[in-house]
Amino acid sequence: MEAAMFAKSEKFWNPLLETLPKEKIRELQVKKFRRIMKWAFEHSKFHHQLYKHVGMEPGDIKTMEDIAQVPKVEKGMMRGIQKKDPYPYGDMLCVPLENVSEFRQTSGTTGQPVYQPDTWQDWEWWAEAWAYILYSQGYRKSDRVFIPFGYNIFVAFWAGHYGAEKLGCEVVPGGVLNTEARLLKMQELKATATMATPTYILSMADTARKKLGIDPAKDLNVRKITCAGEPGASIPATKKRMEEAWGAKVYDHIGATEIGAWSYECEEQPGGLHVNEGLFLVQIEDVETGEIIETPNKRGKMVITAFDRLAQPCIRFDSKDIIMWHEQECPCGRTFRMIKGGVVGRADDITKVKGVLLAPTAIEEAVRGVPELGDEYEVTVTKKGDTDDISLKVELQTEAEDLKEEVLAKLIDQLRLKTNLRYNISFHPYGSLPRYDVKAKRFKDLRKAH
Amino acid sequence: MDTISDIKELGKMIADIETTAKGLIEKSQGIQAIERNAERILASTAMLKINVNDLID
Repeated sequence: MEAAMFAKSEKFWNPLLETLPKEKIRELQVKKFRRIMKWAFEHSKFHHQLYKHVGMEPGDIKTMEDIAQVPKVEKGMMRGIQKKDPYPYGDMLCVPLENVSEFRQTSGTTGQPVYQPDTWQDWEWWAEAWAYILYSQGYRKSDRVFIPFGYNIFVAFWAGHYGAEKLGCEVVPGGVLNTEARLLKMQELKATATMATPTYILSMADTARKKLGIDPAKDLNVRKITCAGEPGASIPATKKRMEEAWGAKVYDHIGATEIGAWSYECEEQPGGLHVNEGLFLVQIEDVETGEIIETPNKRGKMVITAFDRLAQPCIRFDSKDIIMWHEQECPCGRTFRMIKGGVVGRADDITKVKGVLLAPTAIEEAVRGVPELGDEYEVTVTKKGDTDDISLKVELQTEAEDLKEEVLAKLIDQLRLKTNLRYNISFHPYGSLPRYDVKAKRFKDLRKAH
Repeated sequence: MDTISDIKELGKMIADIETTAKGLIEKSQGIQAIERNAERILASTAMLKINVNDLID
């Protein structure tokens, strides 16, 4: 007989796993890593060759240090083997093609899209991972969740939909409706929760106020919002804008098509997100030395493994996301470690401008920290002679048009504080900068084109 | 803190579901209405295993 200790509380989806002592979590992770590596080694030509090439076999994995020696997989390697038999997934596929029941692909933000096959069990697993997220954010059976998402080839909120169903929520698919129709349907049905990118959450609020005369905070019943796809919900100024606009709690979640839904902000909102360490192993690598970082507050590159995804496994995937461990334990009682401030950048978009390391998220934090400015902005970095030049376009809120000088001074101050750089700032009429429904592209580095 | 006194018993019950679903597929003689629904039970059982059985031993 084995007794399992757990914190009995309605706030956990699975207290057995979420409150497991840290040393037990590490033991479980090593066991599960060995299992998924064995699965891939035996079922995928790609993985077999990858590990054979360095003389490693799954049985060699006994400690976290052993795991750190396992070769990493990069997105470029996946692109290289796809569009070949078994078509279109190539040699990374671990199941007979006929067992694949779901097709998705990455958005292609960083290059040619990567195809992602899933079996029905994998799809159950996606929903399970989302069930952990939504339950920790207070979603319950009594919620009516409106999903204003295009239900297309990208995984985005598909899995959120199935996760909410798993919890027993009533789910309203807001598929092909336009923004105004979605808002009116949310109002009509008294939806209690929604999910979207931060950009679209802000854009919906803007449309509601300006085109429908609806104040989402007063006229809608949405009190929980789960964001994904962009870092905004972990950027304090953007989160504040969304929470004020909707009168709702806004929670962040991080996931990716080729990884899964690996991280979530719980109801305590402790300034960080839990890693679901029962389903994933997150390792943070020093970008320069490749050493594993265990100390809090030190940024590094995430290398991640999904333990239970079978059709196209994700093992030691080099995500290029820059994250850091949080120094605190979360008061919610979960023993899963936290990352501080979400994904704070990407290894391939943190760039040196005028000799200073610049993360585009820092500019967002500065712009959104000035309440007189609109939600949209655009940054372009160019080379003028030997010098870098940064132009920043912003929109003034209509009611703040007389305050241009004051707002400019405030913005310069915020930018200096958050990025330590000077910008050529220009004001544009409200509504004139591009609006985005999904992943926004507000940062353009044109120096490489010169 | 609370305890589940017999997590192994939970694990055994989950293993029994798996055995039953596999048995259904084996005896279905290719009837798709049995085979595919039993496959779905197995997919859900896999989630129970992740949440419970993986914690045993």
